[in-house]
Formats: sequence, C-alpha cells, structure tokens
Amino acid sequence: MITTQIDRREALGGIAAIFGAALISPLRRAVAQDADPGMGPQNVIFPDTQRALVDALVERIIPATDTPGAMEAGVTAYIEMIIDEFYEPGEREGFLRDLQAADDYALERYSAPFTELEPEQQDAIISLAEQQQLDGAEDTFFDAIKQLTVTGYYTSEIGMTVERVYLPVPGRYDGAYPYTDGDRLFSN
Amino acid sequence: MFYATDDEHPYVYDENKPFDWVRPSSVGGKSLVWGRQCYRWSRQDFEANRADGHGIDWPIRYDDVEPWYSYVEQTVGISGEALGLEQLPDSEFQPPMPLNIAEQRLRDVLAREFDGRVLTIGRVANLTRDMPEQGRTRCQFRGRCHRGCSYGAYFSTQAVTLPMARATGNLTLQDSSVVESLEYDAAEQRVTGVRVVDARTRERSVYRARIVFLCASCIPTTQILLNSRSEAMPNGLGNNHDVLGRYIIDHIFSVGANGTLDGQFEEYVLYGRRPNGIYVPRFRNLPGEEPELEFVRGYGYQGGAGRSPPQDSGGFGADLKQRLRIPGPWRASLYGFGEVLPYRDNRMRLSETAVDRFGIPQMQFDVQWRENEARMAADIVEQAVAMLQAAGATDIRQDTVAAAPGRGIHEMGGACMGEDPTQSVVNRWNQLHVAPNVFVTDGAAMSSGSCVNPTLTFMAMTARAADHAIDLFRNDAI
Repeated sequence: MITTQIDRREALGGIAAIFGAALISPLRRAVAQDADPGMGPQNVIFPDTQRALVDALVERIIPATDTPGAMEAGVTAYIEMIIDEFYEPGEREGFLRDLQAADDYALERYSAPFTELEPEQQDAIISLAEQQQLDGAEDTFFDAIKQLTVTGYYTSEIGMTVERVYLPVPGRYDGAYPYTDGDRLFSN
Repeated sequence: MFYATDDEHPYVYDENKPFDWVRPSSVGGKSLVWGRQCYRWSRQDFEANRADGHGIDWPIRYDDVEPWYSYVEQTVGISGEALGLEQLPDSEFQPPMPLNIAEQRLRDVLAREFDGRVLTIGRVANLTRDMPEQGRTRCQFRGRCHRGCSYGAYFSTQAVTLPMARATGNLTLQDSSVVESLEYDAAEQRVTGVRVVDARTRERSVYRARIVFLCASCIPTTQILLNSRSEAMPNGLGNNHDVLGRYIIDHIFSVGANGTLDGQFEEYVLYGRRPNGIYVPRFRNLPGEEPELEFVRGYGYQGGAGRSPPQDSGGFGADLKQRLRIPGPWRASLYGFGEVLPYRDNRMRLSETAVDRFGIPQMQFDVQWRENEARMAADIVEQAVAMLQAAGATDIRQDTVAAAPGRGIHEMGGACMGEDPTQSVVNRWNQLHVAPNVFVTDGAAMSSGSCVNPTLTFMAMTARAADHAIDLFRNDAI
C-alpha cells in the first residue's frame, strides 16, 4: 500500500513554510513538536453545529475544484486536533469566539446560519474576516482559519495524493523535470 | 526521534562560551542520524599541524591510512564523482547522484569564472547501486534518511556492521549498559575491566576483556578516560601530563549565503528528494601557494539548489488553490565547513560538582573559536556571495555568525594521537600510551580536523587499528 509510506508528520513542516514568519503560534508549536497531522483529536472541541460550520468554512478556503476540497480531505478533524493539542486555553477560546462571530454575522446579515448560506454569501463573510472587519472576531481569525486549512489539506491523504502527486517507490531523482504552470506539484 | 535530550543527558558550560552537544541515545548512535557525507583527508591535512605548528603533529600520514580508506569505502558504499584533486583525494566510488539543473549551472559558472574552484555532487554513503551481498538496496530518493532507512540504502550500524558482527556468532549487544570508567592495573600497564551501570536497573558491574575498544564518540570517550581515576592516575587514565580533554575541535559551521535564481529554470522542478547536496572542495591555502590570506588552513562548501515552496499571497478559494500549484523560485546556497585550529586551551573536563542520573560526573566545556576562525568565516561568506552573484543570484542573504562549537556535530580531540606520551594520549595505532590494550578509535583521537566531514576518516582509522589489534593478539603481543 502506497499510502502507508506517506509521512504527514514531515509534510507539515514543509507546508507550513509557505507562511514563513506569518505562521500562527499554535502551528509553530505543532511543527516544532513534530505533530502528526493524521492524528485525530483526543477530546471533543467542536459541538456538532460548530463542526458543520468549520466544514463549511474550510471548504470555501480550499474548495472542491478538479480535485476534492478541504471538507472531503478531513481538514475539520485536523483543526480540532491542532486546537486540542497545540492551542493554549486563551487562544482556544478566542478561536471559538471567532467562529461564533462568523455565524452571528450570517444570522444578522442573511437571517440564516453560515452553513445554510450561498457560497457567495459565505465568501463575503470570509472576505470581511480577511479585511479584519468581521464584528466580534479577532484580527487574526482569517490567518488562523486559512493556515489551519492549508496545512491540514496539503498534509492529508487527498492533498498529498490527489491534489499533489505522491512519488512512489522505486524512486529516482530528476533535477530537471519539465514543469508547466498549473501542473500538479509533487508532495513533500 | 533518536536524539538524547539535555534534560536526561545534562552537561555544563559557561554562558559566555556556549557549547552544543548534539547526540543520539540509541543503538546505532550517530550512524542513524549522520549527514552521510564522506571525504578522504588529503596529504596536506595529515601534515597541517607540523606545517603551521598548531596542535600535535600526527604520527601518521596519508599513506598510512590510504588502504583503509579503500577498505572502508568498499564496505560502506559511497557514491560520488572522481575529480583527481590533490586536496580531495577520490574514494572508490559508486556512480554519483545527479546534480540538478541549477547546480549544473553553478558548476559551469565556477569552472568558467573562478580559477581552481570545482562544484561536484556530495560524496555520500548512500548507495546508487544495490549491494545484495549485504542485503542493501540503492537509495530510493525519498529523503527520509533520518528515520533510519528500511532499504539499508545508507550506511548505518544497523544496516551494515551489526549484521556483520552478528554473523560471526560472537556478538552480544548490551543496549542499556552505560560505561562509567575503565579499571586500570598500573603494574601491568593495562586495562583489566570496563565498569558499567545498567541504565534500567542502575546495577553496577564489570566486564573483563583482554582488549578494549573505546569508541563511544569523542566526548563520552574522553569522559570515560577522565573518569577512570586511579591511585596511579588520579586525573584520569593517561592524563598524568594534562593533555586528556584538550585540543577540542569541531568545524566552523552555518556561515555562508543563499540567494534566489530569479527567472531561471522556471520550466523545471525536482522529481524525487535527493538526500545529498553539492560540494565545493577546498581552494584556499593549498600546497605550493604563496600565503597571502589572513588565516591558515581552509574550508569547503556544502549546499545545493532547489525550488522554494509556493508563495502565499493572500486570498482564499479556488484562486488560492490554483496559486498553491505554482512553485516558488529556485534558490541556491553555499555554506562553509571550515577547519578549526587545535588549541590546547579549548578543553573539556569533568565537573567537580554536577553528576548525571547515573552518578557520573558531567562534562564541562571550555571551548571557543578565535581569531583564525573569525577571519576564515568572513572569507567563507565573502566568497559564497561572490559565487552566487556570478551565477546571477539576487536577494542574497548572508549568515555571518558561526554556530556555537559543537553545533557542527563534528566534535573531535580530547585524546589526541601523537608520538610523544607526554604530549598526546594515544599512539600511531590508536592505543593508549599508558595501556596498549585500549584502542581509542573515534573523534577523540583526532589531533586536527581537516575541513572535510570526519566520519570516513574515523572509520578508516578504526579499521586500521582493529587490524593491528588482531596482529598483536595473534602474536600474543597484547
């Protein structure tokens, strides 16, 4: 089985490098401590309604296109694990408040919870967060949910074998492998 | 995951003179986590102490070690490119790993614009050809060496030498024995036993043997000798002349530069994860050159080129996903490994107060780099920048501050080899001057450090010493 050779633990550090110095503290700790992104949460962090909300958020950040999106890749469980393992108590409460703020805004602006909105409406709320103008959410909310989604997605089995190309064994090295913009990249 | 923690393995140093002691704590030791770079020393390296007067002159020269380099290389399996250079003698090579397109360009630039500078693929103990006789498969370019290779593609104790030892039927592996000290018989001038602590039960016992090989890695080996205190040798075994623990060296490490090769090779990426970089052999202070630099000895570069990860430029959604499919620019790096002079005052000793969890005195370090190292480091950075610029690099970032001693993880010295028993600890065959039935065959015996990675030389000297021990044993001379 090819999948047994995937090393998500090492992939996390590689993906986190995308964000450089902007990497949020909990992910910084997760990388430093060699976290395994494939590990499920030991404790329940999200109530069911919030889990559905996170599903919807991550799917808008990395949507299904010609490859599956973040929801199908199981990113929500990854985020729950990171929050459980690497968020400090204050950070955790802040993040959960930010999620609530997104839902509160959806109800106020569109009279429906975030999960029931049209994709364009969901995107409008996420854009507000990116512009740091989402009432009741911390300025860091967008960076946090985006970085969590991206690191979770590209270290998932789908991210590493469907969105990106997983290199099998027997392996080889080609230092001049042809590439055209938009080609699928190789997994770390 | 194989590394020892400082909590469990504490040591002592002055805050103004930091020392990084990096080591594994597992069967197989550093062979599991090493960088696998393998380079022969040159004739000049063995003669360096005599030539400039630093440290203790080696009692052996290149010709003494050469056949043992060959022996080790054939056993270990080393891939690399033969260059025919006097300052970096060729090993017996398996086929070299390929350079990538950016490294090839850097090689061409050096050949064209820098007299006498060569860029080659790293010489590395990763197989490029199967060695079925050892049950080893060639490197699969997974880049997972540090976890221990399930193909046995790189040399490690587990992949090569433990199976060989087991095949003799004479191997007993004591995986939790911590050596505390050696038991010395002053009248017979020999070591009669090895005192150990069981790491699990804390029980103490003594192993008796006719010959002892002390090969615990530079620092623990020196620690064991220092801690082997007897009435005849109250300051440690072989330390009646205050030489043991002195002349500690490492390599100048983590100075160099890296830069972006903007707009170059954008139509290429890397396939596979090559567990190896490039090497630029020493080009400073070579034999026959007029000394015009402000430092003695030399350095080589390691580094390489590769594509940066995709860049995050804000936003989310399908557009972000698409942008994360586009790799960043190529970057190239050149980082020096410089020879550190053997200074008598760079030393380690036993702490008088601090002990570890086994009650063994902790090591206390007093090691610092000095003027020659600072001048060499400055040249390393300057020349790295010049070569990167010549290759068209932009956004060049310099690393100008050498890492603390020890961080190169090429620690050497402490029980130096020499002819004179009052000036050195071991003789030309790695035997303790004061107890010829003890062979010290790791970094501790190194009287100078060259600028190349040391492991191949450790292995060659160990094989040479073992062969000599067998001769002595068979002739009842030991």
